[in-house]
Amino acid sequence: MLLVLSDEYREHLVFLPKVEPAVVVEFGRIAVEFLKRGINPKIYEGAARKLNFPMETVQHGVEGLMFLLTESSKLMISELDFQDSVLVLGFSKELNQVLLQLYVDNRKEIRSILTQLAPCLPSYHNLEWRLDVQLARRSLRQQVVPMVTMRLLLATDGGNNTSRVLQTDPSTLLHLIATLETALAAMKTNHARRILRNIK
Amino acid sequence: MRFRFCGDLDCPDWVLAEISTLAKISSVKMKLLCAQVLKDLLAEGIDYDKVAKLTADAKFESGDMKASVAVLSFILSSAAKHNVDSESLSSELQQLGLPKEHTTGLCKSYEDKHTALQSKLRETSLRLGRLEAVSWRVDYTLSSSELRKVNEPTVQLKLQAQGAESGSTETTVVSISADKFRVLLTELKQAQAMMNVLQ
Repeated sequence: MLLVLSDEYREHLVFLPKVEPAVVVEFGRIAVEFLKRGINPKIYEGAARKLNFPMETVQHGVEGLMFLLTESSKLMISELDFQDSVLVLGFSKELNQVLLQLYVDNRKEIRSILTQLAPCLPSYHNLEWRLDVQLARRSLRQQVVPMVTMRLLLATDGGNNTSRVLQTDPSTLLHLIATLETALAAMKTNHARRILRNIK
Repeated sequence: MRFRFCGDLDCPDWVLAEISTLAKISSVKMKLLCAQVLKDLLAEGIDYDKVAKLTADAKFESGDMKASVAVLSFILSSAAKHNVDSESLSSELQQLGLPKEHTTGLCKSYEDKHTALQSKLRETSLRLGRLEAVSWRVDYTLSSSELRKVNEPTVQLKLQAQGAESGSTETTVVSISADKFRVLLTELKQAQAMMNVLQ
């Protein structure tokens, strides 16, 4: 699969052949750092001053490289496809090699960063429980009513935990346990095993 | 194999694995490590630098350090949870492969802090909406826009409690007339009498 690179994008990268390959490698390293830790505009200013280019050009160049890396890592394109896509930009062979090396070295890490961008449903964090016996209330004395009170803590995106308080009697709790055990047992059916074997 | 300190269930695999890591440090160091872990369980704060120094001799990496703290935490809190006496704990740990000197050190620390641990665990048990503060005020209404001479006492009650779901403090203010307040007081006194019977 080839990457489709728009004209505007090519314009952004047009200054890359004009600088030395060492500078392109440096830009590549900056691009990967930004992907890992977020953009730091001061670095653009420093690089622009050193190379005597306007800051916008430097910014476009680094962002262009970031886009190239994320798109190729996202689509997991082969090295051959990457080289063909980059050929379109009209860079020198040396520059293409540099870009290819950058892609291959950082592919795995960029993919792991991209997995963190997926939306995340609230997931189990902790369950606290308590077993009580209700002995009396205002309207009725001499009772014996067992109850299980639970607090379910869920972890959501952004690190906040939501909590839910639930109360149940022992027979419902047993039913709950039986349902969850059937769910676990579903992993051991032949159908599930066949699918897991094929994914591995 | 069923273990009392695991609540009559099988011992988790990771505990078995990390017991062998624990055996790598000397028994003296392990007793000091137990003391640190007990401080953490009693919410007195754990000094990770001291832990690092204690495990430095055995060349523990950070993963091993965390694992040994975790396994000691589990053993001590689980034994306190299921009210295991220290001889049974000692024999069960030796069955799992922890050397004798380490076991005696651990059980001695456990025995010393047994009651303190259990009361701390009791405190942190699930309780919804704890009452934090009560304040009250008695007012005497002289007159109002509806009636010129009212002459009635009222009680204003402010209850500060932890919200059941949110866990943050919620304030409720109620104003109660004299009759209603008398009913409330009688009912609460009956509930208190019942609680005293159970104590």
